[in-house]
Amino acid sequence: MNIFALVFAAALLAFSSLPAEAKKVILSEKDKRDWHVIADRDSDSPLRDYAILYDAGGTDGAVGVIGIPSMRTYRHIKCGTDMHNFPFSGSNAGNNNGTPDGKYFYVSDKGADTVVEVNIQTGWAERIFALPKPFGIHHSAAMAPNGQYLFATGELTGKVLKLRLRDGATTVLDVPPAPSAPDYPDTSKDGKYLFSGNYYHSAVMVFSQDPFKLIKEIPVGKNPHGTNASPTGRMVTVCDKLSATLSIIDVDKLRVHKVIPVGAGPLHNQIDSLGKYDYISCFVSDSTSKVDLMRMQLVDEFPIHYRCGHNSIAPDDSYYVSQNKFSTGLFTPTGIIFAVNFEEQDIDETSPTYGKSVKLIPVDGEPHEGRQIFATYIQRWNTGKGEELFEKGYNLGDYHVSFDDKSRPGVGAATRPQLEPNHTADSKRTWIPRDDGKPGVTKEGDVYVIRVKAFSYGYVPRFIHVPKGAKVRIIMTNIDKAAGLTKNPDVTMGFTAAGYYGPRTMLFAPRGMSIVGEFVADKAGEFEYYCQQFCGPLHLEMRGTFFVDPPNGKASLAVGDYDDVSKQETMLAPQEHGWIVGTNKLMNTLHEGSEPVI
Amino acid sequence: MKIKSAAFIFTFCLMAVAFFAQPATAELGNGSTDHDTLQVGKITSLGDRQLSVTTEFEQNAKKYSFTLHRDAYVNVHEGGAFKKFAELKVGDLVAVYGWNIDGKYVARRIMTLDANHYLLKRLAQDAKDKVYYKHER
Repeated sequence: MNIFALVFAAALLAFSSLPAEAKKVILSEKDKRDWHVIADRDSDSPLRDYAILYDAGGTDGAVGVIGIPSMRTYRHIKCGTDMHNFPFSGSNAGNNNGTPDGKYFYVSDKGADTVVEVNIQTGWAERIFALPKPFGIHHSAAMAPNGQYLFATGELTGKVLKLRLRDGATTVLDVPPAPSAPDYPDTSKDGKYLFSGNYYHSAVMVFSQDPFKLIKEIPVGKNPHGTNASPTGRMVTVCDKLSATLSIIDVDKLRVHKVIPVGAGPLHNQIDSLGKYDYISCFVSDSTSKVDLMRMQLVDEFPIHYRCGHNSIAPDDSYYVSQNKFSTGLFTPTGIIFAVNFEEQDIDETSPTYGKSVKLIPVDGEPHEGRQIFATYIQRWNTGKGEELFEKGYNLGDYHVSFDDKSRPGVGAATRPQLEPNHTADSKRTWIPRDDGKPGVTKEGDVYVIRVKAFSYGYVPRFIHVPKGAKVRIIMTNIDKAAGLTKNPDVTMGFTAAGYYGPRTMLFAPRGMSIVGEFVADKAGEFEYYCQQFCGPLHLEMRGTFFVDPPNGKASLAVGDYDDVSKQETMLAPQEHGWIVGTNKLMNTLHEGSEPVI
Repeated sequence: MKIKSAAFIFTFCLMAVAFFAQPATAELGNGSTDHDTLQVGKITSLGDRQLSVTTEFEQNAKKYSFTLHRDAYVNVHEGGAFKKFAELKVGDLVAVYGWNIDGKYVARRIMTLDANHYLLKRLAQDAKDKVYYKHER
């Protein structure tokens, strides 16, 4: 007996004395002087974060700023109505995190139909790119290699655009045949192509970056979503949402090279900075799938607690953050809208906690894409050197970053705007007990009452017509049940009519209640409405159309007050309108073929 | 009988042709090329805003020469500290991100790598196991 105990103790001692291969951090002298550095970053609670995760917060209209690896939320940056997706300024070289210069990120607002420029150094919005109308943005993730152009997809209108960041000038392409829903885009790193999934076509569209034009469509699995270009430039990885596969597109041949089964409901993917592994969020199977892009096979799978959606990867490839869409049973209730959650996973294969979730935090809003940046890009503004940093800039090694960008009209080194674009505007919202009235449009006095029933995954009615100038009262009722694929009792339905009426709608309806939104439909046009609160795998496809008909006619994508609404003047106070650039005035004013992207 | 034999031979030939004529599955990559937007390797020479890199973890090492882009910078894979180009040394393991334009290979970012990082250890171990970087197995 004693011998066994001795052998066991010896084995235990031998095991515990094995050299740990956890990450080590060598602190510089400068770091050691810093009072709040007390532990290496592989500690459970480091006080200093080596990276920052920016997450487009969706329905809270803000961008969250979260430390990596601590997962502490530092702040929220107000940006608008329904924030979705962004690249950092600099270059797209590398993986999704790109090659930042630390100056800006450009976040798309699906609700207001804008792109908002946020200064990373001040932490405030600086400009609003008012996209031409009708457009209907979803994502704007794609940066050109030279950092001077963005590519955005108009999911709601079947269009794609190229945007010059200097002044907001655009080229807009129609991508028929209808129905067409250009979805998640990414640019090749050599400046040749823009790739974008199109869930109605079950294909990936390929455009050339300059001149900006459609080249071809590549059939992939059903309802493609997350579409990412590899940092090596060789392949594009596409999440086939309804096929449970990852399609690998050969960029040289522009065709699918391989289809890899990855798990049910793949939504988004993140490739590491060397192009070795791809991490895929599988919503239905509640897992992160890890694909080896050299072996072209699934090599690992990590369980996720709750319904993953978007994701991000640390710039040193040590952590992966699964941005989960539901938190059923996790947190103390805080009201009608439950917090979602972010789950940080250790992906360092040599770490003792490899594959494990090491942090899980509640998150406000309904976050969309996240991107991470080393904290070293963000200068210290609390040292009395703010003015100098703006006037003289800062250095990233040999590279001098300057804010004295004379090519940007109205913005110089001495003037930094501090904007807080409106989240909601010119409307009234009230909660009422569940309304069981018949869906459709009725007139009560001088008010057009629109009863909308929302369910997984659609609306009744699908089309709504009101005349221009009508007083509108939308009563939306969630008729969903806590069953089916998601099995979540907290499914909340949303209603946002994108663009001009985005800040005027933004309605949320949990089961058993109705939400009433009232506003005046004072601009004519065709406006797609969509569910802004994630409700399941086909949430994205949950759409309808709100027509505000002009006198003596019917609204359409060709008939409406589009020049007027493109000004986006309700997003900022009148004295701040100078910070809104673009609009229909600059639509199709790029000189394609002479707008170099590299 | 003759008809049966002829049919058998015909079928056999048809199957053989189908088998041999089937195009081999093209692999996505057979080592690095100068059109790749990322090269991983050791620095073999340094000049005035120029560097050469000999690739690692491939079946056959290849050498590429880069000119630094005007906005190029150097940072460290772990921690993200910035370095000056002059701090780089021959033999450093780096990832070079850039693009080939008009016959000139331009480096937009150089990221110094630590061979003890799990990704590099994995690439090294895979290469030993004949799963080479940028070669599809």
